[in-house]
Amino acid sequence: MTPWHSRASAAARLSALSVVLWLLSGLAMPAPALQLTAEEERRILRHGPWPPASRPDPSNRVSGTPAAIAFGRTLFFDPRLSVSGTISCATCHQPDRAWADGRTRSRGHRTVERNAPSLFNLRFNRWFGWDGAHDTLWAQNLRPLLDWREMGIGPAGAARLVRSDRQLSCGYRRAFGAAPGEDDDLILVDLAKALAALLETLVTGRTPFDDFRDALARNDAAGQARYPAAAVRGLRLFIGRGNCAVCHFGPAFTNGEFADAGVPHFIEAGRVDPGRHGGIRRLRSSPYTLLGRFNDDPQRSTAAGTRHVRLRESAFGEFRVPGLRNVALTAPYMHAGSLRTLADVVHHYSTIDEERLHAGGERILRRLDLSERERSDLVSFLETLTEQPRRPVVRKPAHVQCR
Amino acid sequence: MVRHGRPALAAAFALLLAFALPPAASQAAACARPADWTGGTKTAGEVWTAWWRPDPAPIKVSAHFSIRFHLCGPPVSRVSVRGWMPDHRHGMNYRPVVALNGGSGTVDGLLFHMPGLWQLILGIRGETARETLIAETVLE
Repeated sequence: MTPWHSRASAAARLSALSVVLWLLSGLAMPAPALQLTAEEERRILRHGPWPPASRPDPSNRVSGTPAAIAFGRTLFFDPRLSVSGTISCATCHQPDRAWADGRTRSRGHRTVERNAPSLFNLRFNRWFGWDGAHDTLWAQNLRPLLDWREMGIGPAGAARLVRSDRQLSCGYRRAFGAAPGEDDDLILVDLAKALAALLETLVTGRTPFDDFRDALARNDAAGQARYPAAAVRGLRLFIGRGNCAVCHFGPAFTNGEFADAGVPHFIEAGRVDPGRHGGIRRLRSSPYTLLGRFNDDPQRSTAAGTRHVRLRESAFGEFRVPGLRNVALTAPYMHAGSLRTLADVVHHYSTIDEERLHAGGERILRRLDLSERERSDLVSFLETLTEQPRRPVVRKPAHVQCR
Repeated sequence: MVRHGRPALAAAFALLLAFALPPAASQAAACARPADWTGGTKTAGEVWTAWWRPDPAPIKVSAHFSIRFHLCGPPVSRVSVRGWMPDHRHGMNYRPVVALNGGSGTVDGLLFHMPGLWQLILGIRGETARETLIAETVLE
């Protein structure tokens, strides 16, 4: 049972705790520099175990099926899914670049407003895209297929391609159990669902941090000692004074929501990226959501967020809190790639201009004024979130005759 | 529904009520846990006493949950529910919906998206009175 209590009883407990802490403070010996407190240990343990349990996406009837994963892999690398025949998903999400493209803002047929995020660990998200305009991975996959600046093939073009190409038609039939029908929208959504089945498999591997965290959980001193001292110091900042773990919470290092990180959101002179505020408005006007006809789950069992999301004024200029696993591989950072390195990101938060935050009275981000060593320690910690060994890169499938 | 123009003022108003008005001890004591419940928390105010429990329990950070509640006191016409993080001075990113059936009801669409101290604020309105009850929980 959650420890609910009234305010009066909470105050009484706090007072009692304060007395105990005050008494103990006079008795405590100075702690070694890297000895973690019980509170720090509890906070560190929240970031695991990894990977968390997962289940197929009930809104996608081919989630987790091998035939759909294979079909999604074919589609991911196929430039014919763009209106020009020159841009594939892999143009901006390159397997060798941690499923990103290394650019500040990505370029399909045109340069877009935002940075191409990595595709790691998407299956654990509640919202998709920097603005969370999509409530499923398959709906997010529709975005580049519909936007002419990215791939822009659209429903009619996609349906025509799949119906006319023997190999794609075969892959569709294997994945979905029937030949592509007459409903162009449905075929386009099904392609997005096959792509989602592939992307669900991109879960990062274990990291040095996970080894440390698990050693902590089983009280294994030798295992803990293998973790670099600089990373421990950075981790303490991350969960403590830095306040990073308030948003970068849990095993995936994200609470799945949105925040104003004080990053300028001007796209160009006179044009502003509304971020989450615009994302919610787009979600509500989209036919491709968990509340629409393309959801394969008749119970709508995962649609609570879509039903209840609130259009807040403070959402203007907020962007998705990204997960941090493999973050050292995914530069540049922030929604428009405005920060080049992890050191730049840490420097940004250390010197954040609180006047630029559209916080509406919120008190989360504060200028930290970290020392040079503290900034370096935080980067050391973030680098330990990189999987080791690196997982094999997913390649374009060899041409195999589909029958 | 008890509507408040500014969250900070709303919190202050709620706290004033919680502190300034001593619970009606006899009414609170007489308010029994619903017979089909095995858990739940009782929060007493001046006019109403509430039993409530989350589903699923315990509440987890960034996971949707619902609340079932049962109110003892005079007839209730409206109930509103919201979440508030006093240390951060922000509420939820989601708008919960209350289904009221007599003195009982459910609240769907709740989500506490950060660890720390959260307040669940229940605004109750009857024909002749209104009251705000607050329960607190610390999410790890």
